This record gives sequence, C-alpha cells and structure tokens, in this order.
Amino acid sequence: MSNSVIDIKSIKKVYKMGQEEVHALREVSLNIQQNEYVALMGPSGSGKSTLMNILGCLDTPSSGNYFFRGKDVSKLKDNKLAEIRNREIGFVFQTFNLLARSSSLKNVELPLVYSGLKKKERDEKAKNKLTEVGLGDRLDHKPNELSGGQRQRVAIARALVTNPSIILADEPTGNLDSKTGVEIMKLFNDLWKNGNTIILVTHEEEIAQHAKRIIRLKDGLIETDEINSNPIIYN
Amino acid sequence: MSIFEAIWQAISTILSNKLRSGLTLLSVALGVFAIFIAGSLSDSIDSTVENQLNDLGENVFMIKRMPSGGFGGRNWRKYRSRPRINLKELDLLKREVKSTKLISGFASDGGNVVQSIYTESPSDVTISGIDENYFMNYSRSIAEGRPISAGDLASNNQVAVIGPDVIKRVFPFSNPIGEKIRIQSQEFEIIGILEEKGAVLGNSQDNMVLLPLNLYIKYYSNRWESIDISVNALSQDKLQNTLGETIGAMRLIRNLSPVEDINFEIETNEALTEQFSGLRQTITIFGLLVGIFTLIAAGIGITNIMLITVKERTREIGVRKALGAKSRWVLYQFIIETITICQIGGLIGVLVAITLGKIFASQVDFTFVISGFWIIFAVIVTTLLGIVSGYYPSWKASKLNPIDALRYE
Ligand SMILES: Nc1ncnc2c1ncn2[C@@H]1O[C@H](COP(=O)(O)OP(=O)(O)OP(=O)(O)O)[C@@H](O)[C@H]1O
Ligand SMILES: [Mg+2]
Repeated sequence: MSNSVIDIKSIKKVYKMGQEEVHALREVSLNIQQNEYVALMGPSGSGKSTLMNILGCLDTPSSGNYFFRGKDVSKLKDNKLAEIRNREIGFVFQTFNLLARSSSLKNVELPLVYSGLKKKERDEKAKNKLTEVGLGDRLDHKPNELSGGQRQRVAIARALVTNPSIILADEPTGNLDSKTGVEIMKLFNDLWKNGNTIILVTHEEEIAQHAKRIIRLKDGLIETDEINSNPIIYN
Repeated sequence: MSIFEAIWQAISTILSNKLRSGLTLLSVALGVFAIFIAGSLSDSIDSTVENQLNDLGENVFMIKRMPSGGFGGRNWRKYRSRPRINLKELDLLKREVKSTKLISGFASDGGNVVQSIYTESPSDVTISGIDENYFMNYSRSIAEGRPISAGDLASNNQVAVIGPDVIKRVFPFSNPIGEKIRIQSQEFEIIGILEEKGAVLGNSQDNMVLLPLNLYIKYYSNRWESIDISVNALSQDKLQNTLGETIGAMRLIRNLSPVEDINFEIETNEALTEQFSGLRQTITIFGLLVGIFTLIAAGIGITNIMLITVKERTREIGVRKALGAKSRWVLYQFIIETITICQIGGLIGVLVAITLGKIFASQVDFTFVISGFWIIFAVIVTTLLGIVSGYYPSWKASKLNPIDALRYE
C-alpha cells in the first residue's frame, strides 16, 4: 500500500448531454504501484481517455474517490489540480501538442516555468532531458523542423522534466509509423527501467505487449486486468 | 510566467497576423499620436507665449487698433470701423502721459527685398518703423554700432539697424556698419546691428531691418497702416495707474465722451495669455477627444484580435493548462500580450509624433516641447487600454477547460 501511486475506488463518470446521460465510466476501481508499466486497451468509446483524464487530474470523477499517493484528489479545485499536474504528472499525447512557435528547449522548459524555476535552472534541466532522449543536438529546432518521432521525443522530455510520479501516454504512437513507434517504445522501456511509472493507452496489441500489465476496458467497466506473462523487453 | 516570454508571444501574435494587427497597431498609434501631439503642442504654446511675453517685458502693455491674432473674429465689423493710430496720436500720447516716458510706436511690413552693393535678399525681410524706446520696450539690444535715437527721428536721418539674418544674406564678406542698403527706392546707412534673438511663434526676429518710424510711415506704409504703441509702466505697482492714465489720454486725444466705448485695443500680458490659453485649451480638448475616440475604436479592434487569437490558440492554452498553468497565469499571459500590443502601437504613435513635431518645428522656427509627462501619460493610457480591451478575451482563455481545449481542432 505504501508504494501505491494511484488508488481509485468505484469511480464513475457521467456526461450529461441535454436529457441524455452518457456513462463513460460505470464503476472502476484500480490500484497502480510505483514503477508499474500498464497498458490500457479497449474498443473505441470504452472510456480509456476518460479514465486517463481523471488519472491525470485534468478532470474529476462524478463519484468515487481518487487517492494520488495517498491523498484524496477527487474533489480538488482547478488550481490545486493544476499544481498536481505540474509536479506529479507527465503527459504524452498522440498529437504531441508542442507549442509550434517555440524551440524544443522552450517546449521542454514550459512545465518548469509554471513551477516557478529560474531561467538558468530551467535551461539546464531541459537540456539534460533533451539529451537523455537523444535530442541534445536539436535544442533550437522548432517542431516543424523535426520528424514525428523527434517531436514525440521532445514531448517525452517535456513530460519527464519535472521528475513526475507517473507518465500518462494516450496513444503515443498513434501518429507514428511502426518503425518510429518501436523507437518510442524503446524509450518508454528505458524510462521504466529507470524506475518510472508508466500508463499508456493503445489500440495496438503489438504496442500493448511492451507493458507488464494489461487492463482492458469495455463500456466503462474493467473487463480484464492481467499481468503480461511475456512482455517485450529491450536491453 | 516571465514577462519577457509574454512580450515575445505578443510580438509573434502581431507577426503571425500582419494585416489584422497592423491595422490595430495603426489605430492605437493614431490615438496616442493625437493625444501626444495635443499635449505637446499645448506645452509648446505655453513656452512660446512665455518667451514672447518675456520679450515684451513684464510691465509693458500695447495700444493697437485691432486685437492680436485671429481671436476676435465675431467683432470684425466693430474693429474695422476703428480709426487707425497715426504718428500724431503717438506724439500726443507721448506728451500727455506723465507716469512713464517709455512709450514707443511700431509698425512693420514683411516680405521686402533688401539690396546691398553686393547682392539682394529674397523678398522675405521684415522692415519695421521704430523709435528710440523700441529697444527698451521690446528688450532688444545692439550687438555693434548704435541704436536709432530720438535725434535720428527729429532730423529725418536715413539710417537703419539691421538683424544678423539680413547681414548673412546681403553682406556676406564685409562689416556692414557705415554701408548703405536700399529698400525699394530709398537708401539707408547702416548704423547698428541687432543682437541675435531667434524666432517667436515661427517668426524670425533676426531677419529684419529697423528704420525710423517717421520715414517708414512716409515711404512704406499704406493708408490702412496703424501704429502699435507699447507703453512700459516700469513696475508692476505702477501698471494699473499707467494703464488708467494712458486710456484717459487716448480718450482725450480722440475726443471720446465718458460714455463712449474706447475705439482702440488695450492689450496687457494678462489678456494675451488668456487668448493663448483659450487656443491652447481648444487644441488640448480637441486632441484629447480625437485621441480618446480613436483609442476606443482601437480597443474594440484589439478585443476582436485577441478573441481570434485565443480561439486560434485554444490547443496551446489546453497544453499550458495540462502542464500546470493556473487560470490566473493564462489570464496574465494574455493581458500582458494585449498590453504589449498596445504599447508597441503607442510607441509608434509617440515616435511619429516626435518626428513630425520636430520637422514641423524646424520648418516654422517653433519650439516643440517633448515633455516626459506626455510620454508617461501615453504609457499609462496604452497600458489601461491593454487591460480594458484584453480583459474579456484573456478571461475567456483562462476559463477554458483543458480537456476540451486539448481536443480542439
Ligand atoms: N466531453 C464529453 N461529453 C460527452 N460525452 C463524452 C465526452 N467525452 C467522452 N464522452 C463519451 O464518453 C465515452 C467514452 O469516451 P472516451 O473518449 O473515454 O473513449 P475512448 O475509449 O478514449 O475512445 P477512443 O479509443 O475512440 O479514443 C464515449 O461514449 C464518448 O462519447
Ligand atoms: Mg480516446
């Protein structure tokens, strides 16, 4: 219990669309420990993104409790959630979501700007992270001067730069060709080996096989939650 | 969120929509320009009038046929029927007024050609008829030679005192004292050179030739010419007394009964200042109004641009929020961006105003005063404009839900 990063108890998410209610999550409970590597799978509309948004403190559940490292965050106000996102969570998106007009370095520095770090410290940390993901020579490139794989690496460096407790990736390889996708998965593999906790959403069985635990959602419920007995591991 | 990043962001917002923001910058610039010009102009008038009043001497007042400047337009008919002031009246006045002897007659005409043995000037020289008291009452002094004296007038001497600008043009090589100049058909001997003075309200005070008043009237005046009389009361204490005595003497000279209005103009420094402060107020109010309305229009334009910018950058706002930006920071960022846009517009306005003001001033020899006050005023106005016009779009940005914003296409 002490190593539990995420502990959600019977959370529900209901979207009201006029008269109609959409039950995006019916009742989900989940516990994820430090340094786990989890893949979330399921058909379209099954609630994967909804769950990720709640896990990432971008949204709060309609009911149920969410304990993040032991602290109940299910009823926090926007500003408190922003602080948690800034310090504890690293997001990697399918469409990268880099700031188009800023260099790699500026993009990676952004979370540190919001945590109030001084320019010099920000520069140093951002440079180190970009070097770690293999982009030490691309600091001043704008996103449109980088390949898709490189852009996703910048996004990963940005997710890592605050040393967050978890990394949440929603379809991180969805916009990449399979070869580049494999490179990104190798990077995630390294991060996991270094002790990071990773949760990723994917449609592709192949990608999911990199995770050590696979959770399958269906109609807003957890259908299966299994240990992957034979994960793909790179050395 | 550092201010520099917000400023850079603002500049890139401007650059990414050149036409749209160009028009907005232009309207901010125009508004600030109007306010700045109005403010500086009224300061400039102040200092120019002050100069002129100082020239005239604090305790000097004028007797004229018409009021100075074009300020009395409504009463034109009344002024036109006034008799002109002639040499005889001047002499009588000099005799009647006991409290001061510093009474001086003055008449002048611009656009004359002055010839020397070497060359001739363009037709822009002012010739003035004066008497011995002119130098005291108008605070002018002689750099070289001697002034025109009472004796010169009494004996109809054909003498002249000339300004340094005239010398530069017609005596480029030699000392002009003792030389002759010709104006139309008459020749005058140069007896003195005026000390350089510069310009007052756009009129050079150095491009002139001074002649004895009686000769000036004889050779160069037409039948509408009226003499301006200056009376130097010598001290502030005596001013009211001398003023009363002078008006009484003029009434007597003109045979006005006590119930008749005076048919001449008395101009004191105070009255002059009032006239100019009227002009000044008109310019200031007009400029401020034009400026304010232009800025209101600019503000609406800016609100519009920022709304479009926020819409275009919805995803960016989502990313910033996902990465931990609090609502307040998003609000600040966009307000600072708006302020920056306004400041850039304002800067352009101020620079253009200063440049045009300088050019204008150099063309007409007018001192254009750039005061720190109006620059600070421009900064404050543009900052307020940025806050007011940027608040609503920025507030909208800060209230965006990060999930929706991230999904925005
Ligand atoms: N903001 C919203 N308002 C209303 N309904 C929503 C909203 N977001 C999601 N939903 C609904 O909730 C359900 C789950 O959506 P979710 O995006 O979590 O699915 P998903 O598993 O991520 O699907 P995909 O694989 O297509 O991304 C869907 O039926 C969707 O229509
Ligand atoms: Mg999804």
